Amino acid sequence: MAESWRANGPGRILTGAEISRDYEERADACVIGSGAGGATMAARLAEMGARVVLLEEGGLYTRDDFDMQEATAYPRLYQEAGQRATADLAIAVLQGRCVGGGTTVNWTTSFRTPDRVLEHWRSAHGVEGLDPATLAPHFDAVEQRLEIREWPPAQANANNRVLWDGCGKLGWKRAPTRRNVSGCANLGYCGMGCPIDAKRSMDVTYVPDAVKRGAHLYANTRAVRIDLHRKRASLVRAEVLEPGTDRPKGHTVLVKPKVVVLCGGAINSPALLLRSGLDFNGRIGRRTFLHPVVASVAAFRQRIDGFYGAPQSITSHQFADRGPGKLGFFLETAPVHPMLAATSAGGFGAAHQEVMARLGHVCALIGITIDGFLPGEEGGTVSLRKDGRARLDYKLRPQHWEALREANKALARIQLAAGADTVWSLHEDPVVLRGEADLAKLDRAPWRPVRVALFTAHQMGGCAMGKDPDKSVVSSKLRHHQVDNLFVADGSVFPTSLGVNPQETIFALAHWAAGHIGHNLR
Amino acid sequence: MPGELESRRSFIRKGIVGTALLVAGGGVWVGTRRTRPDPAIRGPLQVLTPEEATVILAVADRLVPPRRGFPRPVEVEVPRKVDAIVAMAQPAVRHELRQLIGLFESSLAGLVLDGLPGTFSGASPEAQDRRLRDWATSRIEVRRTGFRALKKLVYAAYYASPETWPAVGYPGPPTGGGRR
Repeated sequence: MAESWRANGPGRILTGAEISRDYEERADACVIGSGAGGATMAARLAEMGARVVLLEEGGLYTRDDFDMQEATAYPRLYQEAGQRATADLAIAVLQGRCVGGGTTVNWTTSFRTPDRVLEHWRSAHGVEGLDPATLAPHFDAVEQRLEIREWPPAQANANNRVLWDGCGKLGWKRAPTRRNVSGCANLGYCGMGCPIDAKRSMDVTYVPDAVKRGAHLYANTRAVRIDLHRKRASLVRAEVLEPGTDRPKGHTVLVKPKVVVLCGGAINSPALLLRSGLDFNGRIGRRTFLHPVVASVAAFRQRIDGFYGAPQSITSHQFADRGPGKLGFFLETAPVHPMLAATSAGGFGAAHQEVMARLGHVCALIGITIDGFLPGEEGGTVSLRKDGRARLDYKLRPQHWEALREANKALARIQLAAGADTVWSLHEDPVVLRGEADLAKLDRAPWRPVRVALFTAHQMGGCAMGKDPDKSVVSSKLRHHQVDNLFVADGSVFPTSLGVNPQETIFALAHWAAGHIGHNLR
Repeated sequence: MPGELESRRSFIRKGIVGTALLVAGGGVWVGTRRTRPDPAIRGPLQVLTPEEATVILAVADRLVPPRRGFPRPVEVEVPRKVDAIVAMAQPAVRHELRQLIGLFESSLAGLVLDGLPGTFSGASPEAQDRRLRDWATSRIEVRRTGFRALKKLVYAAYYASPETWPAVGYPGPPTGGGRR
């Protein structure tokens, strides 16, 4: 049964709870995914007058739902109920799955794309026309809409002050981060959805902007396949899921679009293209980068209360460039909530309990390695399992382990310099450090998969942009090389990782690409 | 919290005990057929059998040993909460997790790998710690993966429970939520 659509008529939001029949839509643009890329894209296209249908597989939640409980937030708001990981479980994947995507649950850190990264994409991957000057107005626009501003160091919580003080003592670079917040009460629960709408995430900014301009948002609606007809994406097939259980309700949403813009993120976008049989050169799901993260926890005499206060407000790029042949890394912080801390801390039994017993005095710092820039570095792979689910493999090579080890040492040095009495690594046999003399213990620790807890909160690549249709998936204009009316606008188009938290790069790329995608619709 | 395990076949094949287990029958139930259900397990369970829940409780009792101020895992219903987490996973993942619980519990696996002739749940605390440590630091990656999955399930279920927060000095979310 066809649903009529009045151009630029009133917008609409339907969730799996409300949908009790099949829907068929004609649209100028079908945008798949409502995170950093999809929401920005949908808002801009709608503003330009396009009829937009926005599909989101996750649920729609608002501030009343954000109860600041890990037990509810992770299953509801994260991919695979918070259980996503690489196939060998070596790297835990923190990735959003809800209206607003990762922006609903991220820790608000906002960076423009470093100029040297754009230059590397140009020189090494043939990306054309994406230079700092081109992107600057788009950064300006999203920074204004999302109220991205520096967070005053005076308001940093004690966990971030460890990073600030430690770097200061060691003479290392340190800087306050910029955050997309307005009226932030420094609660510390960004990772579980902001309960006061202070975070300017997509669910409270570009998604409502798009709907106000007539977009139709379907939540709990999972894009299953993109059909081709005469080399054009002619139909997006989606299934409606029951909120809570995620079981298909037996209803479908079919969208017949002029263009499809895929914004499912670096794991789900490649998976959807693979399911749709749109891999014409074997490049889809290749060059997946994760910014692999190592963490260090430390106990202080004084209380840290790392579960409260803006989770990330200080950053150090002291080691972002360590010279040729080495991966750089940058240093930030992680919130110290009980479940996240307990599932990350090394060891078990009494030793693990000892760390947990001091949780209120614990500082957690993270070292984020910058992958994808070494010659021959191909990153991970997204493929499909037999039942259609995405599978992520990521082989850490000796250069990665070296960087993770050195990052762990840098984090421990910062914590010790700031006055920690005990530092623990996240090995299953945790390395315990009480002074600089103990740092060599980290050199002797086992740096092997699943001997030490690793994480990724930044998934990138898998649909790389580039000039060469044999080596990349989309053009520098983010258009699929073989399918004219199919675009990808999310972190999956990065040819490498970034060396900074990725949300703002994705906002700006989508904001920029919406210009030419929308223009062609006219 | 657990992520993806290897597919069932590769999981089994990679373990040294795989062949023996397959010969012994290969079903999910094999590992727990000698398990005596703990009467403390209170239903209803969505996915796990009472035997599997018993294994989870036995693992939890060693991951969180008795310590003043820390509630016992059974008091915060770790088995039921782990069951609820497993129930949220995709069917294939659910199956792998149950297989893992069986393999971990299996007396045959214990005998071959750890010289522990009996089930995990029926062993002494010292023997249980030894098997946990052997898995955690095993040279066989798939056993380390298995340990990590069990560890994350149990710790997620335990420490997300507000009853455990006083023990770790976490006052909980700001009162009144964020509605101020």
